[in-house]
Amino acid sequence: MASANGWKFFDCNCAFGPYRTRVFRFARTADELIAEMDFGNIERSLVYHTAMRFDHPAVGNERVVLETSGRPRLLPTWALLPSQTGEQPALDTLLGAMRRQGVRALRLFPDEHRYFLDDLTWGDQMAVFMERRIPLFIRASLDKIAGLLRSFPDLVVVTGSQGANPLDRYAWPLIEKYPGLVFETSGYLVDGGIEEFCKRYSASRLVFGSGFPDNANGAAMLTLARAEISDADRQAIAWDNLNRLLEEASLP
Amino acid sequence: MNPSPIAREYLEHGSSATCPIIDMHGHLGPFYGCYLPSSPLERMRHRLRRCGVRRIICSHHSALACDAQRGNALMQEVVHDYPDEFLGYWVVNPNDPDTTARDLRGFEQRTGFVGLKFWPDYHLVPVNSPKYAPALEFADALGLLVLVHTFGESPFDAPALLAEVGERYPRARFLMGHSGYGEWELSVAIARDLPNVYLDLTSVFQALDFAQMPGGSLMPRAPALSPHVNGLVEYMVETAGSHKVVFGSDLPWYSQHYHAGAVLFAHITDEARHDILHRNAERLLGTHLQGPAVSPADRQPAIRREEQP
Repeated sequence: MASANGWKFFDCNCAFGPYRTRVFRFARTADELIAEMDFGNIERSLVYHTAMRFDHPAVGNERVVLETSGRPRLLPTWALLPSQTGEQPALDTLLGAMRRQGVRALRLFPDEHRYFLDDLTWGDQMAVFMERRIPLFIRASLDKIAGLLRSFPDLVVVTGSQGANPLDRYAWPLIEKYPGLVFETSGYLVDGGIEEFCKRYSASRLVFGSGFPDNANGAAMLTLARAEISDADRQAIAWDNLNRLLEEASLP
Repeated sequence: MNPSPIAREYLEHGSSATCPIIDMHGHLGPFYGCYLPSSPLERMRHRLRRCGVRRIICSHHSALACDAQRGNALMQEVVHDYPDEFLGYWVVNPNDPDTTARDLRGFEQRTGFVGLKFWPDYHLVPVNSPKYAPALEFADALGLLVLVHTFGESPFDAPALLAEVGERYPRARFLMGHSGYGEWELSVAIARDLPNVYLDLTSVFQALDFAQMPGGSLMPRAPALSPHVNGLVEYMVETAGSHKVVFGSDLPWYSQHYHAGAVLFAHITDEARHDILHRNAERLLGTHLQGPAVSPADRQPAIRREEQP
């Protein structure tokens, strides 16, 4: 399905499921999310279930697979925890389950799930994710992500939703240093930011995200649709880069 | 698919001939706390044209952040040179009463300024403090617009403080910059209940969690959290009415297409989109939109909606 202006958008950052706090408009179910995607001009989404973030990863990871089943426009992700507490399967088991369930990317919520993003906590897992190029969508401040990348410099890390304030003074040194670092665009609303980023670096380091329902539906989509960049760059950010990241993930 | 012809027009062309934007909250110049690629004036003018912005009402960063005298003078140059693109807010620093008194005496002689801009969180003076009273009395006497930066739970400009001055100065017309971010229910109720208070959409469309920022907030105290903001426009329109919501972007901070996208892809009517994107601003700005030929003596605000027969 082509969108109104001919562009298709593949959203790497959106959620469905219930919330404990008031959210003015959200998608309680996968089908409600698809309806919101239709309204917001989004063709496909790499999703998480709110239970992965706010209930428990073990609960949410099961629900996201179950509730996206039979809906090819929704691709599930799983939330990851440190191994030490034994709350998730052993790494080999986890990777095998990811392959069987069609999960090709993982999400980390270190603030909500309360762990460090460091070598001590993640030494046993990150080297494997780095080698297998499994994309990690991490919701954390850039100084924490910088710390993780210092230990695992070739990790494929997608980050965004950093809050509204422009962060390029923090972000650009990291982009120059770490080749696997990618920014998603739901939090990249500084005017001219996408254009400047593509000119200085490469469109290959950006992926489209709506941030739904944390952020307002339609905002990031129109920003990218009307960004002053080449059509090739727009296509890459809107669709191709995320597709490529998922295809490059190697599962046993 | 969103059935709105206006949304489709913006998606396909980036702007709309029938539903242009008047941006009630912009700035000029670079900012100390972050890199703003669109801050050079020519770059900003280019961005305004791309989004079909009929006029933007700005205050200068220098005036807000450090030197009101220099920044206001720079703003004056821009509204003089580009009257069909820019109008201005005169920045008031309540910590400098002598300059404020002098500036207010000269206000009516200046063309291109529609009102005053307050930044209480950064000047560290509560908006209901006596230090703001001379400027508020002046705005009240002339029926001026007053754009006030507001943030939830701030000791300087939380929505409740804005409501207090809104009631005390009923002829001044207040724009709640950022709509009292985070204290949404209270802000919207204030705009619903006070005829002279309006909600400004600047930077309300993104979840704001300063714990996610390495440097935290530049404000003196971490503001209210708002982890999920989708649907806020719908709530504002349903509760306060589309006639109480104005478009703002903080340009050169934030993309006008980002802000427009949130309005265009909200579940509201196209009539409400017209109100938010330009009609309310047209009512508030009145003859200021006619350009520099209007003399200061003739600069009267348009008839307020609530005053219309």
